[in-house]
Amino acid sequence: MLPTDEAVIHVVDDDAAFRRSLVFLLESVGWRVASHASAEDFLATQANSPDAPGCLVLDIRMPTMSGLELQERLRAGGALPPIVFITGHGDVELAVQAMKHGAFDFLQKPFKDQALLDAVATAVRRGAEDRSRHAQRDEAKARLARLSPRELEVARLVAQGLPNKLVARELDISEKTVHVHRQHVMDKAEVGSAAELARLMLRADPAALD
Amino acid sequence: MPAYPGVRRLLGAVLFLLAALAPARATPADDAAAVRIGVLAFLGTEAAIGEWSPVLRRLQAALPGHTVSLVQLDHRGLRDAAAAGEIDFLITNPGHYVELEAELGASRILTLDPGPPRAPERSIGSAVIVKAGNGALRTLADLRGRRVAVVSTEGFGGFQTIWRELAAQGIDPQRDFAELKVVGLPMTGVFEAVARGEADAGIVRSCLLESRAEWRTAFTVLGARSEPDFPCATSTRLYPDWPLATLRHTPPALAKEVTLALLAMSAARDGMEWAVPADYQAVHEMFRELQIGPYAYLREPTLMVLAERYWRWIAAFALLLAAWILYTVRVEHLVHARTAELRAALAAREALELRIRANQEQADHLARLSVLGELSGTLAHELNQPLATIANYAHSLIRRSDNGRLTDDAVREASGEIAGQADRAAGILGRIRGFAKKRAAVRERVAPGALVVEAVALFRGMLANAPEVSVDDTLPADAIVEVDPLQIQQVLLNLLKNGYDAARGLPPERQRLTVRIDEGKGDSAGHARIAVRDHGSGLDATARERLFEPFFTTKADGLGLGLSICRTIAEAHRGRLTVDEDAGGEPGCEFILSLPLAPSASEPPECRSDHAADR
Repeated sequence: MLPTDEAVIHVVDDDAAFRRSLVFLLESVGWRVASHASAEDFLATQANSPDAPGCLVLDIRMPTMSGLELQERLRAGGALPPIVFITGHGDVELAVQAMKHGAFDFLQKPFKDQALLDAVATAVRRGAEDRSRHAQRDEAKARLARLSPRELEVARLVAQGLPNKLVARELDISEKTVHVHRQHVMDKAEVGSAAELARLMLRADPAALD
Repeated sequence: MPAYPGVRRLLGAVLFLLAALAPARATPADDAAAVRIGVLAFLGTEAAIGEWSPVLRRLQAALPGHTVSLVQLDHRGLRDAAAAGEIDFLITNPGHYVELEAELGASRILTLDPGPPRAPERSIGSAVIVKAGNGALRTLADLRGRRVAVVSTEGFGGFQTIWRELAAQGIDPQRDFAELKVVGLPMTGVFEAVARGEADAGIVRSCLLESRAEWRTAFTVLGARSEPDFPCATSTRLYPDWPLATLRHTPPALAKEVTLALLAMSAARDGMEWAVPADYQAVHEMFRELQIGPYAYLREPTLMVLAERYWRWIAAFALLLAAWILYTVRVEHLVHARTAELRAALAAREALELRIRANQEQADHLARLSVLGELSGTLAHELNQPLATIANYAHSLIRRSDNGRLTDDAVREASGEIAGQADRAAGILGRIRGFAKKRAAVRERVAPGALVVEAVALFRGMLANAPEVSVDDTLPADAIVEVDPLQIQQVLLNLLKNGYDAARGLPPERQRLTVRIDEGKGDSAGHARIAVRDHGSGLDATARERLFEPFFTTKADGLGLGLSICRTIAEAHRGRLTVDEDAGGEPGCEFILSLPLAPSASEPPECRSDHAADR
């Protein structure tokens, strides 16, 4: 993925010179880079702009809060961006642990500059995909949230492709009432067909129609 | 072995009593004129009294001033009376006489003369009689396993003489007869016993057989010998007749008077005749052969006799001996066992020491390895940062140059950072080198010789088979270096260990090491030189060139840090560590540690700036 205007690469490393060299390298190919001297520093800036796209380049060993601890903190907060860990000599075990906890990639120092740039680009793309998938899900959920419980029941059956007569028998209500509920569902969820409704519900919850 | 000792003793006592009751009897103590003659009453009372009465009559006639009496006693009684001095003369059989001669000093003065054709010295023998016509018994040897009748086993003519002849045939009458029948006196009982068949043979005095005609036809003599001038059949050799003997206390004058009186007796007039004393050598020979009487000692001290007599002592002694042997064997065994245990314990300890030493060497080696490992870990981690940083900047510059983003600011920033990181890396290396110099602050004034002696002792203590190390110290006694003794010893240990390794597996004479300590000349004037020389395989030119490089080693298990650290230490002491270029034509090589000599305590410290500039 080519660097985009909105994506920000966060570099978190306690070694100032090395951190600056990373920033210099990433900027060489056009990335917007944010530099953080510690995990705490990163968390502070993140509070101001929580949902910015991009990825983290994170030193696995740091004095106060380690890279692993930061990863854990982010995972707990529900917003886990893609993380590329930088590990030192003999930190393979830590790296494996990080990967198990959802890290995107790790690089062992000294690494080739191209390896870092590739990892960052892939991470940013993965982040963007995750972000759009999350956005669609959230939007679908928002639309379905407008429905009353009864309308939601009707909507699930309609989305499964049942005609009004069967829906009425299933819910033990009159076919006329089903018709009214169905009209409301279409209006509130802003869909035009039963097929469209089914896609919306699956976006919000992949297991919704099971 | 008296068959009836009680009877015999009683008989003796009765005879003695009869004699004592005689009216003329007086004690020897208060009557010097009394002459008492003891006679062996062997033939029985009736015979004895009558037999010797001619002697009594003759002496009473010949010695008018004396009271002569006969005292009739058995063997034992006669001996006791003679020993007690109760009799002045004695008349007994030849055997008994010889015994008393030996024991009490009895001395014969006359021998009974039996009258022609018998001579006094050949008048007594014994005959073994058997029933006439007993074809089974022809010689004395045939008596083995037979029943034999005798009067007693003490008699001379009735037993001892025939005993001698039997012994010559290998027959022991006590052992080899089926029965030794003792019939007692009178001797005629022997004839009766044989006649009745109670005995197969009987032993009697010679000439007794011939005294009765019916005996001569009823009995024959076994093993009869041909003895000239002897009228009777005899189975034995002939012995002298009975003697009359004096005792030690007998007055010689009296003895002479008695001798003269009795020699004057004649058979025709007195019925008895005496001759000059005969030779009793034959009796001695008999006793000696039989080992009885005075020769009993020949028989007694045999091992069997001793064993029988002293068996309790022997058994006790044997028991003690056995106990002692047992004890000795046990002690010996224990000593062996303990010695073996001790030896095993020593061997085990030796093996343990060897293992400890081996382990110590291993541990030292591992310690060095782990120190190096830590060091290299730190080194790698620390150097990683600046190197990675430099790499990032350099690569970034190339990228920016490629994509047109290379600005002057970027070049300046990157170059500045790269230079800074290069400095940082140099700093790290400097710190590590400084690590080796950390202890350089310690300085003590010591004699180089003392350092060497201590290092050699340490070296020898470290190794199980330390080679010989000779130290030749030609430095003046007051030569002092100012060093960290531990570090210098570390260097010396390293050099000794290298020398040892260089000659490992070579013959012992090439394993020896030499340490020479002297004062340097020329370049190294003012320095103490400690030269460690080995006689090992030496170094090639390449090895010599790279010798002091870190991580250079010629050893399979070496780290290549020893000499490099040693040189660092030497230089930290303003000294030098070199290898001798010319080994003097001999194999091996020589490492020389030179250390500046310190000024003596009284001198002011010299300026050292020139030395510092050297490095």
